[in-house]
Amino acid sequence: MDMINMNIIESAMIAIAREMGINVQKTAYSTIFSEAEDFTCALANREGELIAVADFCPSQIGGVPLLVRSMLREIPLSDMEEGDVIVHNDPYRGGLHTPEHTVFKPIFVENKIVAFAVAVGHFVEVGGMAPGGFPGEATEIFHEGLRVPPVKIIKQGEDVPEVWKMMLANVRTPRGNYGDMRALISAVDLGEKRFKELVSKYGTGVFNETLSDLLDYSERRMRAEISAFPDGKYTFVDRVEDDGIEDKEYEIHVAVHVHRDEVVIDYSGSSPQAKGPINATLGVAWSAAFNAMLHLTDQSIPKNSGCFRPIRVIAPAGTVMNVDYPGSEVGGNTETHPLIVCAIFGAMVNCVPDRVMASEGTTHGCFVFGGHDELTDEPFGGFDFSYVGYGGRSFADGNDATDSINGNCANTPMEVFETRFPWIVEEYALRPDSGGAGEHRGGLSNVKQMLCTGDMLVSQMTNKHKIGAWGLKGGGEGKVGATLYKKSGMEEWETAVDAFGKVSPSKYSNVPMTPGDRVRVMAPGGGGFGAPSKRPAESVGEDVSEGFISAKEAEDKYGYPPE
Amino acid sequence: MKFSDNQYYIEKYIKCDNCGMLIYGEGIPKEIGKKSLFCSEWCVDWCRAVESGEGDPDLPLPQDGIHLIG
Repeated sequence: MDMINMNIIESAMIAIAREMGINVQKTAYSTIFSEAEDFTCALANREGELIAVADFCPSQIGGVPLLVRSMLREIPLSDMEEGDVIVHNDPYRGGLHTPEHTVFKPIFVENKIVAFAVAVGHFVEVGGMAPGGFPGEATEIFHEGLRVPPVKIIKQGEDVPEVWKMMLANVRTPRGNYGDMRALISAVDLGEKRFKELVSKYGTGVFNETLSDLLDYSERRMRAEISAFPDGKYTFVDRVEDDGIEDKEYEIHVAVHVHRDEVVIDYSGSSPQAKGPINATLGVAWSAAFNAMLHLTDQSIPKNSGCFRPIRVIAPAGTVMNVDYPGSEVGGNTETHPLIVCAIFGAMVNCVPDRVMASEGTTHGCFVFGGHDELTDEPFGGFDFSYVGYGGRSFADGNDATDSINGNCANTPMEVFETRFPWIVEEYALRPDSGGAGEHRGGLSNVKQMLCTGDMLVSQMTNKHKIGAWGLKGGGEGKVGATLYKKSGMEEWETAVDAFGKVSPSKYSNVPMTPGDRVRVMAPGGGGFGAPSKRPAESVGEDVSEGFISAKEAEDKYGYPPE
Repeated sequence: MKFSDNQYYIEKYIKCDNCGMLIYGEGIPKEIGKKSLFCSEWCVDWCRAVESGEGDPDLPLPQDGIHLIG
């Protein structure tokens, strides 16, 4: 093993993936790509193993191997030609959820496929029963938008117009989707070009040998990390508060079996799949397990399929952890994924307490809307993220106002948001007192109040409006989130249940908004770590003076100021 | 996964009775309790261990093809 070559090639491949991502960001039409960066760019080998990935969206990173391999089951290597580009979003064929479109480009060197350039991106508008791709009341996959099995969208460098036409006829914002798809394709084109340049520099023999060494190296590093964990079975149960269809809770069971240098993560015992769209797909079940393990281990391990080899996932079919066809699933990738990751942390607090955090807010808010903009005479569709509080850790407070652990998505500046969509943002701030009390308090979430300036339909897929983020080791619960509406001319703020007769305050579809209406979206805070009584008085005082917690909270939860 | 003869659509979605993995091929038919189709010998062994009452089976993972689709 030539460590120098390996290091250089690995870094070069990460740079390629990063450059692909910048290309997506700079060329996309939608703000979810250009501002929020809800995409991932990666490279995979011809066997479908992830070989390099840039630091974009963690929910998509762990999903890449299953996506590539499920694609290869339907379009074998022998059916691929140079210049082909394949698109795939099918949640029942290894996909993550309907909005997540993956574009693959085989990379040929000396007339043989050596790798794939891969770009995964979250399209805001995918058709289905509600604008914005998150119908909180969907009960089957067909409500959630157009499902695209692995098909060639470009063949030998030429568009396949039938595929483009079919896809763009089934969404509300075809121009935006067209631009975003071109952005993903330009990324894989760039990835192909850069990868070929890299291979030509080293020669195929050295390059392939080094790639194999790199995967083995990651595997060894991950095994070394796991072998330092005490053997045992670690369990935890968390809950989804409802599914948008029935007012009842769904359980997520996690058992982490650690033996020597390997881990089995078993979700057996989880609730049967829900009618509403909170169900995880198989891809989500895998990706969440890999995401959790990457958080629990050394961050410097090269992120590729090698580090997944010592991890096995058991996701029983027909449960909320692995939905069976034709169940709905769009919230599994946004809401259930972070809940699974945190449940694994909850289990592992008894194994590696200094590496876990208390529960974060486990939601992206997924406040979506769409309509026809009279100013531009064009349809619009938007996705607005909320930013949650992270859980406290044994050594630090939770992060404030951060995208949930599987997203890593950035804030969309208000100026961009207001320019692109018929909303005026009246308030955007941290929520005081939203972090759970603790020796290391939970992070604060954010609140956003908006004034509607155009007719539209609004839907939401979020969570933790009833069940707060749990604390660890005596830490307190984070404050629950809430989305409140105030119709024009009314005085009272109301939940979607009270204002529109919905079953759930956090998961619903097609709420009508008209100019003058307002909405206030409050994300959930993070849980605390350790007993609040252990928090130093000066830290509490600083929180009060910064406005992070109120004087009342300081007195009630921390007994501050001390007598 | 049972595809139509012309491969245009899926007639039946098939998953491993143990781990939930997609099965495109034949899989491994074996009756263990109420479960009957598996993606790998590892899943057969795990299922058998759990069915026999083991709460924390200690089964080394396969060295090759651990995340291959069955």
